[in-house]
Amino acid sequence: MKDNLPDKDGFFGEYGGKFVPETLMYALNELEQTYKTLKDNNDFNAEFHKDLAEFVGRPSPLYFAKRLTEHYSTASIWLKREDLNHTGAHKINNTVGQILLAKYMGKKRIIAETGAGQHGVATATVAARLGLDCHIYMGSEDVRRQSLNVYRMKLLGAKVHEVNSGSATLKDALNEALRDWVTNIEDTYYIIGSVTGPHPYPMIVRDFNAVVGYELIEQSQESFGRMPDSIIACVGGGSNAMGIFYPFIKMDNVELIGVEAAGKGIETGEHAAPLNDGTPGVLHGAKSYLMQDESGQVKGTASISAGLDYPGVGPEHSWLKDIKRAKYVAVSDDEVMKAFHMVNKMEGILPALETAHAFAYLDELMPKMNEDQHIVINVSGRGDKDLNSVVEIEGIKL
Amino acid sequence: MKRIEKKLKELSQDNQKAFVGYIVAGDPDLETSLELMHLSVDSGVDILEIGVPFTDPIAEGPTIQQAHDRSLENQTNLQKIVDLVGKFREKDSNTPIILMGYINNFLMYKDLINRSHDLGVDGVLVVDIPGELSLEDYGIDNQDLDVISLVSPTTSKDRVKEIVKNSTGFIYYVTLRGVTGSSNLDGNEIEKNIKHIKSISSIPVMAGFGIKNSNDAKLLSSFSDGIVIGSSIVELIYKNSENKDFHEVSDYISNMKDAIR
Repeated sequence: MKDNLPDKDGFFGEYGGKFVPETLMYALNELEQTYKTLKDNNDFNAEFHKDLAEFVGRPSPLYFAKRLTEHYSTASIWLKREDLNHTGAHKINNTVGQILLAKYMGKKRIIAETGAGQHGVATATVAARLGLDCHIYMGSEDVRRQSLNVYRMKLLGAKVHEVNSGSATLKDALNEALRDWVTNIEDTYYIIGSVTGPHPYPMIVRDFNAVVGYELIEQSQESFGRMPDSIIACVGGGSNAMGIFYPFIKMDNVELIGVEAAGKGIETGEHAAPLNDGTPGVLHGAKSYLMQDESGQVKGTASISAGLDYPGVGPEHSWLKDIKRAKYVAVSDDEVMKAFHMVNKMEGILPALETAHAFAYLDELMPKMNEDQHIVINVSGRGDKDLNSVVEIEGIKL
Repeated sequence: MKRIEKKLKELSQDNQKAFVGYIVAGDPDLETSLELMHLSVDSGVDILEIGVPFTDPIAEGPTIQQAHDRSLENQTNLQKIVDLVGKFREKDSNTPIILMGYINNFLMYKDLINRSHDLGVDGVLVVDIPGELSLEDYGIDNQDLDVISLVSPTTSKDRVKEIVKNSTGFIYYVTLRGVTGSSNLDGNEIEKNIKHIKSISSIPVMAGFGIKNSNDAKLLSSFSDGIVIGSSIVELIYKNSENKDFHEVSDYISNMKDAIR
């Protein structure tokens, strides 16, 4: 099994690449060269891992979910607690790494897109630490449903730019961030928040998040003496999934399951599940599965969770799907809400709505497992930011 | 001789610079686009660049983005645009036509694009295919179609060499760091970079992005083979779409054409 992708042009099989306007090629090549030089540099890695330990709080625990395990009474359920990271999600792993790249490259201005606001907060956080000028692009629909995170970004000194074009969600925020980058190409570093976008981003974001998977190898050995049977993670752009999957790609006996957002149901067309119901296309600089119509126009998406509300997906996931190394399923908004409550009540953990997608697949998976098996769920983020949405969805007055 | 080459040769023999004019097909509607294509040529446009609308046009500023959105509301697609070119050809067989858009739309219509030269299309400009790549690798391999590539202020000299090798028709030199419709042109840098392209190739070079008025047009045409204007024309079309009286568009084009004479 190949785990040495992408190739030199940035492709995972037929997916990936650098499909960008000419002006950006310079910045992508500059970033690629810098990363190539730094990724095996001892000082760079020491600094990255020191920050992960002391600022992020790594390693994140692998926690045995006792009551969930008893509830399903088949395999043991373990939780990889990325929700306990500083800023509340796996997103900080990538931003801590990329801000170091920005520092080594001498960039003074940081930009990022955000959907749920977790990546925006994580970016604003690392930019604040280095005193860099920080601009976050966010769809106006997401600004509305994630107002708490918007305020956090402002507290951290970032300027939040509301994006009203298109569907006013994550994809449009990405468009706008790319336009900013084209305009301010020389002094600006663009911290992409997922394993999406043009090469080298899908590789860089994966590598910085892969710390999650590498920790899991050790923790599995310590906790239950072998590798897990299945690893489950939610997939929007796919960075938390890619981070935990990556070190396991060559371990054929570890099942990798990505859970997409089926929104109101795959059959309704109102969802955000390109790996389940999309076709290959090019968006935001990479070829990958994409929700699009027969003219090649990108379709609108629907999901209860702002972080998964994206019509594309990271190219490496498309490749893992095609070679059948990972399995991609989808769960509906209703199933997600049920799981959200279950995890709160049974484990005392408030998961992000994105993360609740991974839990929502347990109903289908667990009856097929047996008692000797071990599964791991990547708890990609905590759900404090979603309380406004949940209250609204359930018609509750606080 | 291909239509673009022929047109540029004629202009250069007359000591004239080329005026490439951009409109978005289907904004405000396809019927009006046909009218606007003829009107543009009558007013002074030498080469027509027809924008193919896309939901996520990352190289465009707000003016052209919104034109893409308006066009998409009319369900404009590449099939309808090639049909539009066919209709234009009923009355005009001289003016070169380039389709400018994004790879995802072109990929969906590969076969049509490969046949489009016979239907009146002269070239394609795919904004998000870097110029050192060959469109052939993506299934667009009709040798009669010119492939126009972008070179920008940030393109390295090595890459200019590769891009020029893969381009036919002309090179589109992007005159600024930014999206379409931005401002702040740097004349010295533009002159230097266009000279560099010309020092390694005989392919004509058009300058575009950020040309707003006749001073910009005059300056840029002095060291290029012609200019490309998009956002300003698109803006005037939008402004007059309600009553469909486009004399402002026509006047603007004539003024720009005069400026580069």
